[in-house]
Amino acid sequence: MDVILFTAFNGLLYGMLLFMLSSGLTLIFGMMGVLNFAHASFFMLGAYFAYQISKYIGFVPALFIAPLIIGFLGAMVEKYALRRVHKFGHVAELLFTFGLFYIIEELVQMIWGKVPVGYHVPEYLDFTLFSMSGMGYQAYAMFTLIISIAMFVALFSVLTKTRAGLIIQAALTHPHIVASLGHNVPKVFMLVFGLGCALAGLAGVLAGNTLGTEPSMAFSLGPIVFVVIVVGGLGSIKGALVASILIGILQTTAISLDLSINNFIELIGFTVDIESLWHILIDLTISQIAPILPYLLLVLMLIIRPRGLFGNRDV
Amino acid sequence: MLTNFIKIILLSITLLSFSCTEKEKDTIKIAVIEPMSGPVASIGLDLIEGLEFHAKRINEAGGVLGGRLIEIIAYDNAMMAEKTIQQLRKVIDQEIRYVSQGVGSNHALNIIKTLGKHNERNPGKEILFLNHSAVTTSFTNELCNFYHFRFDANVDMKVAALISQMNKDPNIKKVYLLNQNYAYGQSFQAAARRLLAERAPQIEIVGDELIVPFGKILDFNPYVAKITASGADTILTGNWGADAARLITATANSQLKVNFYTIYAGIPAAMNSMGVKISTFNPIIQVTESHENDASQPDWLKKIEADYTAYSNKSPYADRQRFMMDMFAEAIEKAGSADPTAVGFALEGMTTKGPHGEAYMRAEDHQMHFDMVISHISTDVEKTFTYNGEDYGMAYVTDGWVDAKNITLPTTCKMKRPKS
Repeated sequence: MDVILFTAFNGLLYGMLLFMLSSGLTLIFGMMGVLNFAHASFFMLGAYFAYQISKYIGFVPALFIAPLIIGFLGAMVEKYALRRVHKFGHVAELLFTFGLFYIIEELVQMIWGKVPVGYHVPEYLDFTLFSMSGMGYQAYAMFTLIISIAMFVALFSVLTKTRAGLIIQAALTHPHIVASLGHNVPKVFMLVFGLGCALAGLAGVLAGNTLGTEPSMAFSLGPIVFVVIVVGGLGSIKGALVASILIGILQTTAISLDLSINNFIELIGFTVDIESLWHILIDLTISQIAPILPYLLLVLMLIIRPRGLFGNRDV
Repeated sequence: MLTNFIKIILLSITLLSFSCTEKEKDTIKIAVIEPMSGPVASIGLDLIEGLEFHAKRINEAGGVLGGRLIEIIAYDNAMMAEKTIQQLRKVIDQEIRYVSQGVGSNHALNIIKTLGKHNERNPGKEILFLNHSAVTTSFTNELCNFYHFRFDANVDMKVAALISQMNKDPNIKKVYLLNQNYAYGQSFQAAARRLLAERAPQIEIVGDELIVPFGKILDFNPYVAKITASGADTILTGNWGADAARLITATANSQLKVNFYTIYAGIPAAMNSMGVKISTFNPIIQVTESHENDASQPDWLKKIEADYTAYSNKSPYADRQRFMMDMFAEAIEKAGSADPTAVGFALEGMTTKGPHGEAYMRAEDHQMHFDMVISHISTDVEKTFTYNGEDYGMAYVTDGWVDAKNITLPTTCKMKRPKS
């Protein structure tokens, strides 16, 4: 029981981190069809801005100010660059965000240098809240968990319960009709892009101090967020949440299992020659392949259900 | 107007190239191939700066062979193995006879292989590889080559040093091995298994894990849980970068008390990214050739390190670039020429002033041998570490020295030597 509870809880913690990272991306992709390669860069900017702001006026103001600045930056990127590129089609957009990724990385290196910066968890959240199975849980981890749940609830209700959300959803599928009804569709897109970037920024503020704030963080986080949004279904916030937690629990469970195919083979009474190539393969434990499981899930999902768990159109 | 402008530009280019060739004739060039862009650029740039400092120091003391200067020319490999080869081709075309590199053993391996072929096919144009930090043991074992010299201790030697320190602590009974799943991490793991069995049979290995390397793992909590469950009192790890910082952070956040025995987890960049509280929660023990707060550090080295800090605005981290450049200069003097083959023979068996007694280049396999210092991160230090003016508020404290004898391991190298 203890083990199950523990795995579920750790998986949830990790899953919510993934959700924060990917919710903005799925929103942007779902609404605008833009596969934003620079999404993780906005996440990185969030961490760096939070570092800079918290150095002067503290962590709590940084929590609000950094995502706002990044949201504004994102909106400007959409208004002055992406919108112009948009008319040349998806490939141009893709290449644009790809270039943006490198530009942001270089800018960050120019401003903050190439070594990690000292962005740390604030003192008043840096204590052990409770222990489970001999492991202490930091108050900051709980804080992150609460914020991310709040983020999901807020995002979900805005999109489904408010008028603005209604317009956003309508603009997604029927932009021309929404425009003829007198709504400013480009402005809606700009706001959605800004909001998506702000969410990535918020994730950066919250995760930068535990993951380490350095110029390569965007690069190393890039792939996993795409897995989440494809598995969850493009554009679905609910899907992103379920996929994040699923991947979180899957990975946490897998890491704790030191079982290999060889164990099963030995269990039924066979042995495989240690020297053979097969041995290397079947001797891999589940914990060793844990980090590739999300990608395996991605491939399986694309084969079996290309629209993802909650998506309503194919990739 | 425009034509005039073009003329001026052309003229200045010609003049510039003349002045370059004039200068180049005299200097002895070392091509340094390191990452100057990309995710690990900071490491490459700092190392290049260090080598430039030592070249400048030697040049200011009169250079070599009665006034010839040593020149460091930096090439960017962006941490991509194929780019290392591209840059190396450029170096070969420019007839530079010395190459130095250290970040990333896969890059070093490319250089060793490419130069191996080049040197065999181009007698009289050999290029010598001064390896300052690439530590994969096989370079001085089965892959050894006359034109490769390693000035850093290899993985096996570093692990041997860590284990001999672990032997001094009777409280260490259960060790957990956690390493990155690629050439370097695997060779750390193999060395740790072998040397623990040989030299510290009282210590039980309670966990042995290879993880996906290079910052791909975001959440180390499940690993910390496994370590907790195993009852380990010590983690022996070769991890570096985010893989080390996140592991140590997760361990501290979950209040797990263990010792970390490491090679690179305590490097300055990692120290700053973790912060004082996490860096000192558990003892982070590392092995290097010297550090600034060591009481036994000789005065002449203190002087050089102070000059380095004034030059680069950084605390010194390693000493191997210093003795590599000193030995290189001395070998040229001894050989009486800057020919790589002659310099190679001069370097074989050479002894030099190390940070702690004598250091020597073993002739059999071209592996440098020196005493190594074991230290841990602490805030209770005389000089805290500074980097570009930023004070990290902590540095290293000596736990003990490991004699070069204890980390001298047999080699399997069967070297083919050129005819001298």
